[in-house]
Amino acid sequence: MNHLPDAGSRLGVRRVWRIDMALVTRAEGRMYLTPLVGFLLLFLGFPAIVNLIYSVSTVTFETLRSPVLSGFSNYVAVLNDREFWSSAWFSLRFGVLTASAECLIGLFLAIFLAPLLGKRPVLMAPLMLPLMVAPAMVGLMYRLVLHEFAGPVPYYLFEWFGDSPAFLDINNAFRTLVVVETLQWTPFAFLLFYMAYSAIPLDVREASSLDGASPFEIVRWIDLPLMKPTLVIAFFIRFIDGFRVFDNVYALTGSGAGGSTTSLSIYIYQAFFKEGAIGKAVAASVVLFVASFIVLHGLNRLAGRRKL
Amino acid sequence: MKLSKTSFALMATLLAGTALPTFANATVTVLGWPGGSEETALRATVETYNKQASDADKVELLFFNREGFYDKLQADMAAGSSAFDVNLVATYSLGRYAPYMEPVDLGADAAKVFGESVLKTMQFDGKQYGVPTDLSLHFMYYRKDLVDALIGDDAARKTYGEIARKYLGKPLQPKDPDSWTWDDWAATALYFTKQVNPDSPVRYGTVLQMKNLLFNMMVFQSLPRSYGGDWMDKNGNVTVDSDAYKTGLELYKKLYDAGSSPKDSLSYEYAETNAAFASGQAATALQWNAAAADLTSTEKSPAVAEVTGIVAPPAGPDGRADHIHGLGLGLNKNAKNKEGAVKFLKWLATEDAALLYARSGGSPALSPDVVAKVAKERPDLVKLGEFASKYGYVMTGATSASALPVYELQAKEFTGYWSGQQSLEDALAHTKAGMQDLLKK
Repeated sequence: MNHLPDAGSRLGVRRVWRIDMALVTRAEGRMYLTPLVGFLLLFLGFPAIVNLIYSVSTVTFETLRSPVLSGFSNYVAVLNDREFWSSAWFSLRFGVLTASAECLIGLFLAIFLAPLLGKRPVLMAPLMLPLMVAPAMVGLMYRLVLHEFAGPVPYYLFEWFGDSPAFLDINNAFRTLVVVETLQWTPFAFLLFYMAYSAIPLDVREASSLDGASPFEIVRWIDLPLMKPTLVIAFFIRFIDGFRVFDNVYALTGSGAGGSTTSLSIYIYQAFFKEGAIGKAVAASVVLFVASFIVLHGLNRLAGRRKL
Repeated sequence: MKLSKTSFALMATLLAGTALPTFANATVTVLGWPGGSEETALRATVETYNKQASDADKVELLFFNREGFYDKLQADMAAGSSAFDVNLVATYSLGRYAPYMEPVDLGADAAKVFGESVLKTMQFDGKQYGVPTDLSLHFMYYRKDLVDALIGDDAARKTYGEIARKYLGKPLQPKDPDSWTWDDWAATALYFTKQVNPDSPVRYGTVLQMKNLLFNMMVFQSLPRSYGGDWMDKNGNVTVDSDAYKTGLELYKKLYDAGSSPKDSLSYEYAETNAAFASGQAATALQWNAAAADLTSTEKSPAVAEVTGIVAPPAGPDGRADHIHGLGLGLNKNAKNKEGAVKFLKWLATEDAALLYARSGGSPALSPDVVAKVAKERPDLVKLGEFASKYGYVMTGATSASALPVYELQAKEFTGYWSGQQSLEDALAHTKAGMQDLLKK
C-alpha cells in the first residue's frame, strides 16, 4: 500500500490514500484496517497482556480467572532456578550446533550436487523427503530405529561388531539428538543454498575461470560472497528452530535423565502443564522473549552498521 | 461468502450432532474414558443398566478424546460445568478433581466386591469419591525355562552364590520366583547378565524402566515400599529420604551399572521394556499388568510367550507391595441429576455390575470370591485381583492434588542419580524439599 497524499491536500482539498487503482479517504483506509488491527489486538495483544499479568501473579488452573498479583516473585524463581539456566544452555548449544552442522552439510551438498541436480531435477524430491515428516514422528521413528531389540541400527552393530553403543544414555543423548535434528533439517538449508547457488550467473564463474581462478577460488571468492545473505538467513532460521526445539526431543528422550535434555521449550511446557506453575512458566517465556528481542535487535543494528 | 447447499447440509448435520446430546432423553450423563476396553465395557454395562432403570435414571454416555483428557476435564470442572453428572477420575489425579466432586457412599457391599485396598484408590481425605472400574498394577515377569535350569544345575547354583556374594555381599541361593526377595531378584538378574556372567544364555538379567517419566516412578515405588517406604508419615512429614528409598535407589543403580539392564534403560518406558523382554534377551522384567496379554501371546511374543512366568513383585522386610492405581467414576458437584447419578454409581459397585463390566472387557480388581466367578473367561483378572487385595497400596499423599507433580519430581531427581549426575544424598534432599513444597499446597 502506498501512502500518496496528492497535491490537492496542500490546497485544502481532502487528502486521499491511493491503493492500486482505487482512491480511498483516510477514514475509509482506517475502516479497512480495523479488522486486521482488531484481529492482531485480540489474538496477539490480549494473550500478551494476560501473560504479562500472569507472570506477576500467583495463579493456578483453579484461579485462572482470578490471579492474585504477587510482584516479581515468578521472575525471581525463574532466574534462581538452576534448571532454567541449564535448559537455556541446552537450547543455545543445540541451536548453534545443529544450525552450523545443517548449514555446512547443506552448503557442501548444494555445491557438490549442483551439476547432477541441474541435469536431473527430479532428484530434489527424495532429498526433500525428511522435511515432510512431522518432528514428533521423527522422534518416535528414532526411538524404534535405535532400540537395542527392535531397531536396525543396533541390530547390525551387534552383527558386525558384537556390541552397540547406548545412543540415548546420559553420555550420548545430546549427540544423538543433534544428529537426528541435523538429518531432518539439512535438506532445508540445502534447498536454500542450492537455489542461491543456481541463481549466480554462469558468466561470472566463466570469467573468473578464464582469469585463472581455481574451482576452490571460485567458490571462495565468487560463490560464497554472492550466497552470503542466504547463508546468514538460513543459519538464523535454523538456529531459531533449533533453539526452540521441542517435539522430536520430547518424543525421543523426554526431558532426559535428571533433566539432561530439557530445552527451554520443554522447561516452559513442564512448568505449565506438569507442575501447574503457570506464573513461573509464563515468566520464563517473558524472559525468553526479552532475551530474544535484545539479541535480534542487536543483530539488526549490527547488520545496519555493516551496510553503512 | 456464499454457502452451497452441500455446505449448508454439512453445517446443519454438524450442528444437529452437537446439539442432540443436549436434547436427548437420558437424565444421567456419564463422562467415560474414551477408547479401548474401558469404553467397550462401559457401553455394554450401561446398556444393561438402562434396561432395568426408570426413564428418569437412564444413562447417556459421553466420550471425548484421550489427548489432553485430564486438562480438559479440569478446565470443565473448574468452570462449574454441569454437562455431565458422573465423571471419570484416576487415582493419581483424584486430588485435582476432588474440589469439584462430591463423595459418594457406595454401601457396605462395595468392600466385599473390590476389597478395601482397591476402594482406597478412589479415596481422598478419607472419603470415597468414586467406584473403581479399572485397575493397573505391576507383575514380575520372568523366564521360567531359565530359572528352572538355574535351580536344577549345581554348577550354576555355585556361580549364582559367588555372584550374589560379590555384588550383594550375601550368600544367596536360587529360589522359586514366587518366594523372591528383592535381593533374590537382583542376584538372579546379575547371574543372567552377560557382562557379569559370560555363560549367561541371555544378554540381560532384567529390564529397568528408568526414563524420566512419572509412570516409571509408579513401577519403581514397590521396591522402597516393601522396605517400609512411604511419601509421608502420620504427621504429614515427608519421608522420602528414608533408608527404604535409599535401598531401592541403590539397588536399581547397582544393577544398571553392572550391565544387568540394557544400556539405554534411561530412555526406557512401557513399550521399550516389552520389546526387550519379548526379544528373549532378558530374564526378568518388572512391568505393568497390561503387558501380560502381549508377553504371553505366541503371535506377539513368539520367543518368550510359552516360557513367561508371572508373579507379584518380590518381597522386602515388610513383605510384598504392588503399586496400584485405577480409573473410576465419581459424582460431579454440579451434576443436574445427583439422585440418578448416585443410583447408577451404587449399582456399578454391586457384584453383578462388576462382573458384567469384567465380562465386557474391563479390568476391575475384584476380591477373590467375586473374581472366581469370571476366572474362566478372564484368567488375567484372577492375578490382578489377588495381587491388588494382598499387596496393593497407595502412597500417603498419592491422591492429593500434587500427586502428579510429585511423581514428576521423583522421576527427574531419581533418574539424575541413576545416570550419575548427582549423589544419592543430593537426589533425596532435592526430592524431599520439592515434595515438602508440593504437598503442603
